[in-house]
Amino acid sequence: MIAIEAVSKTFETEKRRRLPALCDISLAVAAGEFVSILGPSGCGKSTLLYIVGGFVAPSAGAVTVNGQRVTGPSPDRGPVFQEFALFPWKTVLGNVMYGLQRQGVARQQALARARELIAMVHLAGYENLYPKELSGGMKQRVAIARTLAYRPSILLMDEPFGALDAHTRTRLQNDLLDIWERDRKTVLFVTHSVEEAVFLSDRVVTMTRAPGRLKQIIAIDLPRPRSRAALLLDRRFQDYVVGIERLMDSADSGAPA
Amino acid sequence: MRARSGIATVVLIGALPIALIVGVWHVLAATGMAPPSLLPAPSAVAARLVQQWSSPAYLEHAASTLLRLFAGFGIAVIAGIAIGVAVTASRWVGATVTPLVRVLAPVPKIALYPAFILTLGFGDASKIALVVADAVFPILLATAQGTAAVEPKLAWSAQAAGASRWRCLLTVVLPAALPSVLTGCRIGLVISCIVVFLAEMITSTDGLGHLLVRAARSFQTVDMFVPLITISLLGLLLNAGFNAVRRRLLAGFPETTE
Repeated sequence: MIAIEAVSKTFETEKRRRLPALCDISLAVAAGEFVSILGPSGCGKSTLLYIVGGFVAPSAGAVTVNGQRVTGPSPDRGPVFQEFALFPWKTVLGNVMYGLQRQGVARQQALARARELIAMVHLAGYENLYPKELSGGMKQRVAIARTLAYRPSILLMDEPFGALDAHTRTRLQNDLLDIWERDRKTVLFVTHSVEEAVFLSDRVVTMTRAPGRLKQIIAIDLPRPRSRAALLLDRRFQDYVVGIERLMDSADSGAPA
Repeated sequence: MRARSGIATVVLIGALPIALIVGVWHVLAATGMAPPSLLPAPSAVAARLVQQWSSPAYLEHAASTLLRLFAGFGIAVIAGIAIGVAVTASRWVGATVTPLVRVLAPVPKIALYPAFILTLGFGDASKIALVVADAVFPILLATAQGTAAVEPKLAWSAQAAGASRWRCLLTVVLPAALPSVLTGCRIGLVISCIVVFLAEMITSTDGLGHLLVRAARSFQTVDMFVPLITISLLGLLLNAGFNAVRRRLLAGFPETTE
């Protein structure tokens, strides 16, 4: 359903220097698939996600979604950012309502759906608080609910749990899998945590250091629904993590840390 | 509640230098170091102030000043925000307006006043025009800067939710830039107070500035201080009102010092 075809991106700096960020990336993601993109920081993995989102235009190549070429953002592809990007002047309810209002949902229906979503991300009772009054984990829950509100068929998650402490991160990973199990949206998930990628994904795409190229795609053949506690003891899980970590190390070899 | 005693302390400390100035003024007047014909005693000014504030004629002058101030400031806010947003939104508008602003912003607008009088007449219009000309720039610059600095991911989140470019601009970019926009508006408000008074001092038949000049020309020093104190208190009141509005509008934003 998502087809990334020979996408490259070169940024032009103010001094007219050309910085290649992505180099000839091709990748196909099937409907309902959970794919993680894993790479060292600065390898352009977030840029790739922004290109799929239609927020950034590629320098070469194209992205198509269901056969349609991506030329800009669309409610079909919902982003979730590491920085949450919540609207600070809106309450939790207001943030979740935003997309419903843009979709022209009648107010009563929108309110009901927003409350339902807020309950789903375990924030019932927090509807009237402002984002600044919430913890990082709660903010990301609001951001996920805000994006789910307009029913995108694809979720584009840009290191969504990267700014959270280990405990919160684990809880949100579990909750994300729970939500995903219900309607199996297509997810493109950028992260630099190998364990997170293996735990969540059907396939893990590894990238090289900048300018980012595809390095290797690893299918994660672990049963679902997954439980973190069980997986940590599972030999196959450990093998995936160790194998991919070795692969990442070899990507870094010779390059300055 | 927790901040109640803190606010009282701050107000007290803030009132101290003002009390000091009035104290020195009183001593200068009472000891005769400054002749009463040039520097009236603060008590005399205060008595006259109370008397004037209950005089309909005086209040009419104050009302004309306020009308010009609000009209000028209001137009400056609308124009400043509209142009500021347009500068960020459209590369074409930005390229046309930015050089114009760079040329016009440093010009002392008071120099345009004779031209305003010639084209708009001696009435309210020329004074309002001068207030607009002076107050619009800080608002415009703060809006352009604030909207340009808005985190792109906020706009992306809105566009992915289905907001058009214009929708996104009005419902996300402008609200996100509000702290900066309101800082520009506050500067614009102070400038409006100064400029409306100045315009009335230069050419007017009514208003607080006119009263001051009229009193000065006839050496009525007590009457000279009354409009001065009135505009200063009005400024204080307007600023307090502005801050109340600001606090409401910025309820969700992280706290900033005022």
